[in-house]
Amino acid sequence: MSSEILRVFPSDINTDEIISGKYKYDELDMNKLAVHTFESIDKNFYNDARSKKDPIIVAAKNFGCGSSREQAPQVLKACGISCIIAESFARIFYRNCFNIGLPAIECNDIAEKVSKGDKLEIDFESGTIKNLTKGDIYKFKPIPEYIRKILDAGGLIPFLKNNDGF
Amino acid sequence: MNKAQTMVEKILSNKIKKDVYAGDMIISPIDLAFAHDGTLPLAIEKMEEMGTTKVFNKDRVLVICDHASPSPSEKVSNVHIMMRRFARENRLNLYENGDGICHQIVLEKFSAPYKVIVGADSHTCTHGGLGAFSTGMGSTDIAAAMIYGKTWFKIPEAYKIEVNGALKHNVFSKDLFLYIAGKIGADGATYMSLEFLGSTIKDMSIESRLTMTNMAIEVGAKCGIMEGDEKTREFLRRYGREKEFKEVSPDKDAVYRDELYIVSEDVEPMIAYPHKVDNVAPVSDFAGLDIDQVCIGSCTNGRLEDLRIAAKILKGKKSKCRLVVYPASRDVLLKAIKDGLIDIFVEAGAAVCPPGCGFCIGRTIALGDGEVVLSTQNRNFKGRMGNNNAEIYLCSPATAAVSALNGKITYPEGD
Ligand code: SF4
Repeated sequence: MSSEILRVFPSDINTDEIISGKYKYDELDMNKLAVHTFESIDKNFYNDARSKKDPIIVAAKNFGCGSSREQAPQVLKACGISCIIAESFARIFYRNCFNIGLPAIECNDIAEKVSKGDKLEIDFESGTIKNLTKGDIYKFKPIPEYIRKILDAGGLIPFLKNNDGF
Repeated sequence: MNKAQTMVEKILSNKIKKDVYAGDMIISPIDLAFAHDGTLPLAIEKMEEMGTTKVFNKDRVLVICDHASPSPSEKVSNVHIMMRRFARENRLNLYENGDGICHQIVLEKFSAPYKVIVGADSHTCTHGGLGAFSTGMGSTDIAAAMIYGKTWFKIPEAYKIEVNGALKHNVFSKDLFLYIAGKIGADGATYMSLEFLGSTIKDMSIESRLTMTNMAIEVGAKCGIMEGDEKTREFLRRYGREKEFKEVSPDKDAVYRDELYIVSEDVEPMIAYPHKVDNVAPVSDFAGLDIDQVCIGSCTNGRLEDLRIAAKILKGKKSKCRLVVYPASRDVLLKAIKDGLIDIFVEAGAAVCPPGCGFCIGRTIALGDGEVVLSTQNRNFKGRMGNNNAEIYLCSPATAAVSALNGKITYPEGD
């Protein structure tokens, strides 16, 4: 199954840019909150994302820095984003992604190698991304084993339920 | 065989009663989990999904109304009602309107060397200034921690920051951290523990130390940590918790992935300009820039020492721009009243507001379009103070106060 890159972001995208802190008190429904995703950067982000099937976003370094707000990965998930690929992630955000069952992949120089609209095929087992548009293959750092288990369970909550705690 | 350990390796080894090192994955008990009005509602929702809203231990969970407090709207008031219900059902300590910012409350009531603290707020790294291992997490992690009293950690690699020498009279720990942020960059310490050492740190007050560990997350760190020493003991004594003191220091041959050595004499008063914390420059580069508002407060620089520094500069003078002061906690406010600092602020034309996050995330007080603000907080991201079209500059309380007197960014000459 392949998915299209919706947008390629530069380095240091913070969680306030993903979803402004000013909304988080007013809306607990992620589907409604998601309308404001990336509002200060791209007013059409939500509609564009919803018009595609399982879109992917790509970013350079330190994606998701700043606040610990879990609404940031939540709204991305609610926009239909199926995977985030970045050169590196801020760690609270990274952990939050897996906790809600949204895969986050670290891949060197990815932001320079791909373009908006490219179709990618991701293989978590072998740690490879196939760029069907450009005909290239990229290797990514394997997801640490414990985190992989959380992801495979569908997030931290189902993981803890299955395991009866930690 | 025992290997030398960093401070964080020691604390977490102590906690799980097994020697662990950078890269190890552990499940660790926690001493405290907390969340505030910005993060608790989602955590409660996650607890409901897990099938229980009962916490593991009522004395080890705190909830705080600080981010939008006193409540500025109907919706926030309803969030606070939900928090009160959760606290009542679990018989938890709930901190209300005017009690202060979560981190300041946790510092005063709970943090101590060797404690393991998790909070649903990125600046939970603050508590490392008292020798605790503390880190920020999202609401799902905190929900799990509140239920099980445990969480998982990957032991972080360490970044040693050694600072030696005497800071200039007009240079404060905030300037020092901004200087470090300029050197390391916003992602320079991603997932690492920043371990601060050296004579400058030893000579600093606990309050100054906390300003630096508070900002560890701004360079991507998982936590910031400093040695627990006599000053730590004295701080705990002030809050009636001297018994909780333990010395913390790294082993001599502890392994650091990166090291940075700083000579204090090299550090100037610094500023971070929009819209990134690692956009740093000496204050002199921006001197003369018109500002609309000066903000003094936040979990970075809203403690008594910060208010004293600002009040000394403002005493008997008038601010030429809007000036807002938020003491970090009720305790800080009370001491500032007793010391006469609040009189000085009010006479200088400041709006002195009830303890809480206030201006820092623009929830109870927001900026207008095109406004320029100089603040003692820790972040200057676009939109951070409630308006995407405002510009935020960060500085020390001294630079903030002296700039207020001119209505322009001003180099703090000092005494
Ligand atoms: S004062 Fe600012 S940085 Fe500190 S906890 Fe409140 S909102 Fe966060």
